[in-house]
Amino acid sequence: MRALNHKLFRELWELKIQVLAISLVLASGLATYVMSAAVLNSLQTTQQRLYSEFRFPDVFISLKRAPESVAPRLAAIPGMREVETRVTAPATIALEGYALPINGQIVSIPKGEQKLNLLYVRAGRLPEPDRDQEVVVSDGFAEAQKLQLGTTLLLTINGRQRRVIAVGVVSTPEFIYQLAPGSIVPDFANYAVIWMNRKSLEAAYNMTGAFNQVAGTLEPGASLKNVLDAMDVILEPYGGLDAYGRKDQASHRYLTEEFRQLSTMALLFPMIFLSVAAFLLNVVLSRLMQTQRGQIAILKAFGYPTSDIVVHYLKLALLIAIVGLIVGITGGMFLGRGLTGMYMTVYRFPYLDFSVSRDVVIWSAAYCFACALAGTVVAVLRAAGESPAVAMQPETPGSYRPSILERLGLDHLFSQPTKMILRNLERRPLKSALSMLGVAMSAGILIMGGFWQDAVDYMVYSQLRRAQIDDLSVTFIGPMSGKALGSLASLPGVRYVEPTRAVPARLRFEHRSYRAALQGVDNAGSLRRLLDQNLRRVELPKDGLIVTDYLARILGARVGDMLTVELLEGTRAVRQVPLAGVVNEYVGVNAYMRLDSLNHFMREGDAVSGAYLAVDPEKEPEVYTRLREMPAVASTASRKRVLQAFYDLMAQQSLMFSYINTMLAAFIAIGVIYNTARITLSERSRELASLRVLGYTRGEVSYILLGELALLVFVGIPVGLGIGYLLALMLSMMAQSELFRVPFVIGQGTYAFAALVVLSAAGVSAFVVRRRVDHFNLVEVLKARE
Amino acid sequence: MARGVTKVYDMGEVQVHALRGVDMDLYAGELIVLLGPSGSGKSTLLNILGGLDRATDGHVHYRDWDITRASEKELTLYRRKHVGFVFQFYNLIPSLTAKENVAAVTEIAENPMRPEEALELVGLGHRINHFPAHLSGGEQQRVAIARAIAKRPAVLLCDEPTGALDSETGIVVLEAIDRVNRELGAATALITHNVDIQHMANRVIRMANGLVASVETIEKRLRPSELHW
Repeated sequence: MRALNHKLFRELWELKIQVLAISLVLASGLATYVMSAAVLNSLQTTQQRLYSEFRFPDVFISLKRAPESVAPRLAAIPGMREVETRVTAPATIALEGYALPINGQIVSIPKGEQKLNLLYVRAGRLPEPDRDQEVVVSDGFAEAQKLQLGTTLLLTINGRQRRVIAVGVVSTPEFIYQLAPGSIVPDFANYAVIWMNRKSLEAAYNMTGAFNQVAGTLEPGASLKNVLDAMDVILEPYGGLDAYGRKDQASHRYLTEEFRQLSTMALLFPMIFLSVAAFLLNVVLSRLMQTQRGQIAILKAFGYPTSDIVVHYLKLALLIAIVGLIVGITGGMFLGRGLTGMYMTVYRFPYLDFSVSRDVVIWSAAYCFACALAGTVVAVLRAAGESPAVAMQPETPGSYRPSILERLGLDHLFSQPTKMILRNLERRPLKSALSMLGVAMSAGILIMGGFWQDAVDYMVYSQLRRAQIDDLSVTFIGPMSGKALGSLASLPGVRYVEPTRAVPARLRFEHRSYRAALQGVDNAGSLRRLLDQNLRRVELPKDGLIVTDYLARILGARVGDMLTVELLEGTRAVRQVPLAGVVNEYVGVNAYMRLDSLNHFMREGDAVSGAYLAVDPEKEPEVYTRLREMPAVASTASRKRVLQAFYDLMAQQSLMFSYINTMLAAFIAIGVIYNTARITLSERSRELASLRVLGYTRGEVSYILLGELALLVFVGIPVGLGIGYLLALMLSMMAQSELFRVPFVIGQGTYAFAALVVLSAAGVSAFVVRRRVDHFNLVEVLKARE
Repeated sequence: MARGVTKVYDMGEVQVHALRGVDMDLYAGELIVLLGPSGSGKSTLLNILGGLDRATDGHVHYRDWDITRASEKELTLYRRKHVGFVFQFYNLIPSLTAKENVAAVTEIAENPMRPEEALELVGLGHRINHFPAHLSGGEQQRVAIARAIAKRPAVLLCDEPTGALDSETGIVVLEAIDRVNRELGAATALITHNVDIQHMANRVIRMANGLVASVETIEKRLRPSELHW
């Protein structure tokens, strides 16, 4: 066997570029698998560890206000293990030397020992129990603002200002994902979660001896639904807003969604790459065995058993697989670290242990070897099984017939070289189809990558440039009289003010229900527009409801259906309202009514809970400062800032994604095209050399070889664009959730880019092969007996 | 016309002298047979004459043109316009029919015959639409000859055209070559190991050790049908 092993390594070396091309495709698949699986694994393990270590609750509820005496009743709910009440309040934050508005959520730290939602102190310490001025801040904010411990913050809570000192930086499982109200991505510089002692927050928010949030953990085996129902019953009189489980906790929900996408990635990409790699291995090994028929026959004639020969060639495939495996796992670890780093900036895990588990490595190896074997075993068995006497005969010329285009009577249109191309492709339809599909796949993957960018651009365009065109949005600390708008309008720099009113509500249709913010909008308003799929304005009738298209789907309701609307604030009125239309929105889920109708429904006069402002750009900083000084303003959001945060995040994420994506797709394109070209060249070197002898120039001979490739590429590209379309459609359908929807938009630039990358890869492969044609040794090729 | 042609193959440590200064003439219309043991330099000489290979030293003139100084491109044109090759292994293109194999040449030649005509000349007029896989060895070789002569070459170079064939088929193939030589007047050089074939030549050149050992003029040129071996 030693001699055979020498042969093995020499042949591997001879085929080095092809081996490299296949290994890279294989490695790409494994790298995406290792990256996604390892990151997913690390995230999930860390999440679980954090949840139990920092006592992430199982049930949650917000309410208006309940006296602390209600707490024991909650603790007594069967199945409830631990309950903790707390106070939370919205606030605006001013930081010296920073002009933009910062919104915050203030959370209380319990008087005694904290039982749930424990804080992980990253720097400094927790506030001393008796020091009212001391607070700790969320790590994302501290990092983005480069906040020093001991910095003074000016908080406006419930219209009253107070100075506090940041003594620590913390993170907690509750706020792994932090989203300010009104934003679509985390904006750490402009949003903070701040924890202060319960007593001082009670005082600041008029909640002495009361609470407005409850969290609890369950006994093992307790019924979630029963506990939630019991909580609702107890807290209903206190303005309870529907208890919910972990599944609906904001941060947890985002994480779950992210995990879902990662697991898709761990499946989809590797599958594409591994099947392409298996195909390439098959093509290359089949050809190798064909050229070595004589050698195989002689080995068998010498007395090597068929099994030795099978093992010999399988070793070749496995060696290629091992190269792919090593590169793939290393690459996957590298990419995984990058991805983890990226996640850490968005998801505020206090720590994240990135490790590639043994399982991931074992599975990678299994996938890799399975793919190598699947690609080669049939070809190897067939060739090794041939009888030596037959195998030592020269191969008879291949059987050909006129191609379908010629049979259709178009043969006079083609030159002999063109006929050669057509017949050759048609002679092995499966191989041609698979090569073409390989090319198509690389185009498809490119489109999939470009699609994200297009979708995000369109999302921003439709949502933030067409539907929402206010400069600032202001939320009041509670419902206000419409007169409050007057003071906003009188601020210097404010050009236009539009009222809004948001009320939590439950919508029901048939047996389905959903809790959403019911928003009263000014029908004559121009800063927030309700747009349909074609970005046309949807008119809001006097009596009727308009909901996000996704909400209509959740409810299974169509325009014209009567929905039951149950307000969860104030009078808690219930009414039947017809569904008058749907709006196309990509972020969140909303329901809209006319402001006057909503107020009528609420039995309130001209109440408003917030406003949208059009502001003179130069006066914006001044407006911020004035707004911060207004006691009624709970938070201020700048649309420009939301856009900026969104683009910052996308730039960071999609840059890496599209870079890797393009690289991987190019590997496939080069792998497929180069290998196809090399195989064709080796199969047909004799023919091509004959033509050279007959006086064909290098260019003319290259035409036959490269023409075949060009045809595969030119058919492959449109097919690939189609595949990319379908892949993108699939991704967009899979990414539908209440949190956001990904619009199915593919720009022409994306198609063009995909085609261009494939063409370039083809060009590089063609160039390499063409050089081989130029260095043909005519005499040797023709003298050799096939 | 070849003068002082040498060819040295550089095989790393050793240099193989395939031709050591060969002088040779090939006149229009004549048929010469090259004889000699393996390694005597016959094929190398033929390849250099046909512009497939380059001489290390010496000159080869085609009419008034020195092909040893020609560029790669000029050599391609030379083969395209003036030279026809026939090899021991037919080297047909399997994906093209007999007629199309010939057409592959006529399409790029300057004043070719029709493919049918060329195939007629080698006695294959009735099998023009068959693919190589469906032709016998002799038939394949005759297609190869038709392909070589369809451009009306001035030079026809045949390297053991009958080497892979039985004698009966071989004679049919030689008849085709003989006929082409007589009717088209192509200067024909034919390499063979078969000494009986020399009788169909005008001249016989024997080679040994990379040199011309002897040149013999044949008085009476025989028809291939009169040969037997």
